[in-house]
Amino acid sequence: MLCEECNTNEARFAVTMKINGEARVRHLCAECMQALNPSFRTGNVAGVLAAILSAITAGERGGEGGEKPEEAVPDITCPKCGTTYAAFHRSGRLGCPGCYVAFREQLQPMLQQIHGRVQHAGRLPLDNAEAQRSRTRQEELTRLMQQAVALEDFETAAQLRDQIHALAAEGGDPT
Amino acid sequence: MSHSAVLSSRIRLARNYEDLPFDATREGVAATCVSRTANALALSGEDRGFRLLTMSALGEEGRMLLAESHLISQDLTRFPDSAVLLRDEDRVSVMMGEEDHLRIQALSPGLQLSETAARCFAVDDALSRQVRFAYDPQLGYLTAFPTDTGTGMRASLLMHLPMLAHHKQMGSVGQIAAKVGLTARGFYGEGSEALGDIYLISNQVTLGRTEDEIIATVTALGEQLTGMEAELRAHAIKERRLSTEDRIWRAWGIMKNARLLPLNEFYGLWSSLRLGTVLGKLDVDLDILDTLPVEAQDAHLRAGSPVGLTGEALDAARARRVRSLIQPHRFTS
Repeated sequence: MLCEECNTNEARFAVTMKINGEARVRHLCAECMQALNPSFRTGNVAGVLAAILSAITAGERGGEGGEKPEEAVPDITCPKCGTTYAAFHRSGRLGCPGCYVAFREQLQPMLQQIHGRVQHAGRLPLDNAEAQRSRTRQEELTRLMQQAVALEDFETAAQLRDQIHALAAEGGDPT
Repeated sequence: MSHSAVLSSRIRLARNYEDLPFDATREGVAATCVSRTANALALSGEDRGFRLLTMSALGEEGRMLLAESHLISQDLTRFPDSAVLLRDEDRVSVMMGEEDHLRIQALSPGLQLSETAARCFAVDDALSRQVRFAYDPQLGYLTAFPTDTGTGMRASLLMHLPMLAHHKQMGSVGQIAAKVGLTARGFYGEGSEALGDIYLISNQVTLGRTEDEIIATVTALGEQLTGMEAELRAHAIKERRLSTEDRIWRAWGIMKNARLLPLNEFYGLWSSLRLGTVLGKLDVDLDILDTLPVEAQDAHLRAGSPVGLTGEALDAARARRVRSLIQPHRFTS
């Protein structure tokens, strides 16, 4: 459908607006959305998120108007912190890092909308102390394995290789 | 004339502990963030120069003073159990128990985002050797708001853009900024106001770009705006010399003589004074001038007074502070 404001561009956002005290859903294109919604200018995070959420909800329903966006909110609860998807939908705030796993399917299109990409490209955390110890242990085992190979003690080398693989799998480290 | 329009640079990194809920108002969350972070920093050996300040011990005035100086966020002052590790020397703050568990922040004068980021990364690395931050190989650092996910980094420039504002160009600047994943908005004031023609330029996109790419984009816009502003200033002095000078000298007259100076009025006058200084019309120390938007705020005025200041007394103190700081000058036109 076309944007109700400019009647030119395709409507991409379904926004609930209070007009004369009455709540109405309006369908707008990105430009009119930006012009009308002050949250975009003031950096109001919750406002922007609410707009993006309704855009995604509208998109999932084929962009058809008439339905209330709230109806499409899936009934999911984060098993780690108990935050419901509905609560996140209202506040724009996640409950814990586990919510990223629980709401992954819903978050992907939202992150795509916000950032344009969904693959991290920046810095990584240095391994924590535990992972570091595990890596040191792996390095030590690798050294011993190389020694064993040099001494043609292939049985020990194979055992060491299995240990290294087990450690790597534990730490989630592919090396 | 080549003075940068950039007042200061700021980098902020959001980091969270993977085993704690984000909500710092939940029982024990903020306290755990504080003790865990302070311990980790001490263990890393990178804690030299840092002092730990808890919001509750700071009291209302102490909190406001730090927030006005931008050393902590307004948000941090809302969480009673939160605290900050502050290194005054190079203005590095580790806010603990904010919207995210940690906000590692560094501030620098002028345009120097890379150097500022390096100070944040050093703290980030020191901490991540000791603790485990919530991180996902695909999504990067996991944050309370999906708007910060990925790098968790916000790179910002505080800019003085009186001529772009005068020509009502900040709306289009905002639209251009949005196209490259940035935002431009008024820093002081409510809603769409930009008191003192001071704007905050920062990245909106945090995921899918490296920190260096983000910094490069923000820096490029900062340089572009500096160039545009300089061009408009040159134009103003050439084509509208009288009205431009009138604006500057009127502001000078009021700033030097006012006995009551409400904050909103102060910002407008300050903008004209800085414009006049940058244009070489006024001989005021620019460094001092640039401290005024912070120095003239309420908590800073209260801190310099033995008695509690409110209402008119506050406006009077502001007028006195401004008069004493913008000292002798020579007329250059």
